[in-house]
Amino acid sequence: MSQPVLEVSNLHTQFFTDDGVVQAVNGVSFELHEGESLGIVGESGCGKSMTALSIMGLVPEPGRVTAGEIRFRGHDLLRMRAEDVRDLRGRDIAMIFQDPLSSLNPVLKNGFQIEEAMLAHRHAARRETRERAVGLLRKVRVPAAEARARDYPHQLSGGMRQRTMIAMGLANDPAILIADEPTTALDVTVQAQILELLRDLNRDLHTAIVMITHNLGVVAGLCSRVIVMYAGQIVEQGPVDEIFEHPQHPYTWALLRSVPRVDAMRHERLRSIEGLPPDLIRPPAGCRFHPRCPFRVDRCFNDEPPLDRVGDGHVAACWVTMDRAYGEMGAAELLDVRPGAASGVRLPAERAGG
Amino acid sequence: MAAPPLAVTQEIFAEDLAREQVGLWRDAWRRLRRNRMAFVASAYLVVLAIVALVAVVHTPYSYFHQGVAPTYAPPGSAHLLGADSAGRDILSRLMVGAQISLIVGLSTQAIVLAVGVPLGLLAGYFRGWIDAGLSLIINVFYGIPNVLVAMILIVILGGPGLDKIIFAIAFTGWMDMARLVRGQTLSLREREFVEASRASGARPGKILFGHLLPNELGPVIVQVTLGVPAAILFEAFLSFLGIGVPPPAPSWGSMAAEGINSMRIAPHIVLAPTIALLMTLMAFNFLGDGLRDALDPRQKR
Repeated sequence: MSQPVLEVSNLHTQFFTDDGVVQAVNGVSFELHEGESLGIVGESGCGKSMTALSIMGLVPEPGRVTAGEIRFRGHDLLRMRAEDVRDLRGRDIAMIFQDPLSSLNPVLKNGFQIEEAMLAHRHAARRETRERAVGLLRKVRVPAAEARARDYPHQLSGGMRQRTMIAMGLANDPAILIADEPTTALDVTVQAQILELLRDLNRDLHTAIVMITHNLGVVAGLCSRVIVMYAGQIVEQGPVDEIFEHPQHPYTWALLRSVPRVDAMRHERLRSIEGLPPDLIRPPAGCRFHPRCPFRVDRCFNDEPPLDRVGDGHVAACWVTMDRAYGEMGAAELLDVRPGAASGVRLPAERAGG
Repeated sequence: MAAPPLAVTQEIFAEDLAREQVGLWRDAWRRLRRNRMAFVASAYLVVLAIVALVAVVHTPYSYFHQGVAPTYAPPGSAHLLGADSAGRDILSRLMVGAQISLIVGLSTQAIVLAVGVPLGLLAGYFRGWIDAGLSLIINVFYGIPNVLVAMILIVILGGPGLDKIIFAIAFTGWMDMARLVRGQTLSLREREFVEASRASGARPGKILFGHLLPNELGPVIVQVTLGVPAAILFEAFLSFLGIGVPPPAPSWGSMAAEGINSMRIAPHIVLAPTIALLMTLMAFNFLGDGLRDALDPRQKR
């Protein structure tokens, strides 16, 4: 394995609101290697975007990174001067956002915005940057790149805008490209093209990609490794095939079951995950997923499970794990996914209500 | 490009659509030209500017020599707009008055831009103590009538004079601009493209003047075109009160003040400067309205 280009350890990001402290990211640790493509998946509000913004040093008010380390090539970004982190942004670590229209300045031409991204980090002649901007647009497969560089963002289609954003992200040959839901706002056919583009760029330019998404299909097509987040914590991490074929955390299992499949029987209904994501001001004790978990056991209510090795490069934070759930609780045939349904561990209130 | 055929046709369609649209500014220009009142107003203002420029080198008569015409002479062939109580040619005075009005209108707005825009940007973007301080100053001065502020300033600065008038009017005007820019910045700073430019490592100065300001140019331009007539009127008003441009310089306001006593016997002395003032104010206001409509992105067609 090559040296990790990014090491995040024990990251805590909190929001200090009037209602209390929101623990948006709570002890997240992971590594990213040169040229790797890593997926971070989870429901909205699970902390995946905040993890990315913490890395970029762009956590919005009233949030703050309260603990942990974020090492880029060995240097801790959290202990660097603000100016040095700013120099790093866009040059070594670039980020692209969900909505390409609102992420582009509406009154500046596309080519100019790509040039600006370059000029933020080095001095160069306008003629040189202009040529490079057009070259980058070509690299992200924008047809008629010269003409599109002279257009304004509103004159492009959604897919072309996102390509322009990616070109901006690549302007300084970054080591890491963080993509926060880059395909969510696009048509399905365009989504596929953007993913294909990202995969090719990852392979050809050797840029490490962190793909943040709630869409497991996106991860399956692009990433080699996946992190599953729930309520600000990593609940499972491993190679993409392992996660998809043998998920060990009940949350990952439930997430996979809730993906619509074209080849599924028509009468087979989609199984959503019961309940809502937890309140991150007062997160539940023990395992944070236990209030929604069909496989919970008594231990889950009070003891927080650590990330334990469950396979080759595969870790999960669960006292039960799906291997046991399949073996002892009949998870394969499970239809009732209410909390505690499979294990029989229910609270009196839920028993009455259910 | 290896894309499914369906997507290819979509892209071509989108490109066709894009070609039909034109740039933001060209679009605004087209809409402005269609607005007849704004067009007439601009034409009038161009003529006014030419007249004011011509007056630098040539006026029909001297604007300050008395007795070039009979006192109270009505409009006629020798003196197109007649003469005032001291026998001075009103047309010549009006032409020089146009200079004063335009100088006051434009230079106050230049100061307002130079002060109000950066302060508004800083306060809106950084919030914190800059914003608190600015808002406090603005709120204090909003409580005091502008005329009072201007009068006190002129007295403090040592009596009437064109430069002091300009300073006093700009002092009462920059706050509106700062407020406008601050408000625009407050809403724009939350937009994703600002975060995106921060994520690409842009410095605060670049974000303020390179990304935020270009997005606020429309409202700022409108504010300026409406600020010019307000400043001209303010100057005329101060001159009318006698604390404006000192004689013999013929401000439209002081010309009207001089004619007010003889309004019964020689109404043209009052009417000439007031009509000139009225038309100029209307022209700027129509132009401002036209620009507001033209630069409003929500108005298509």
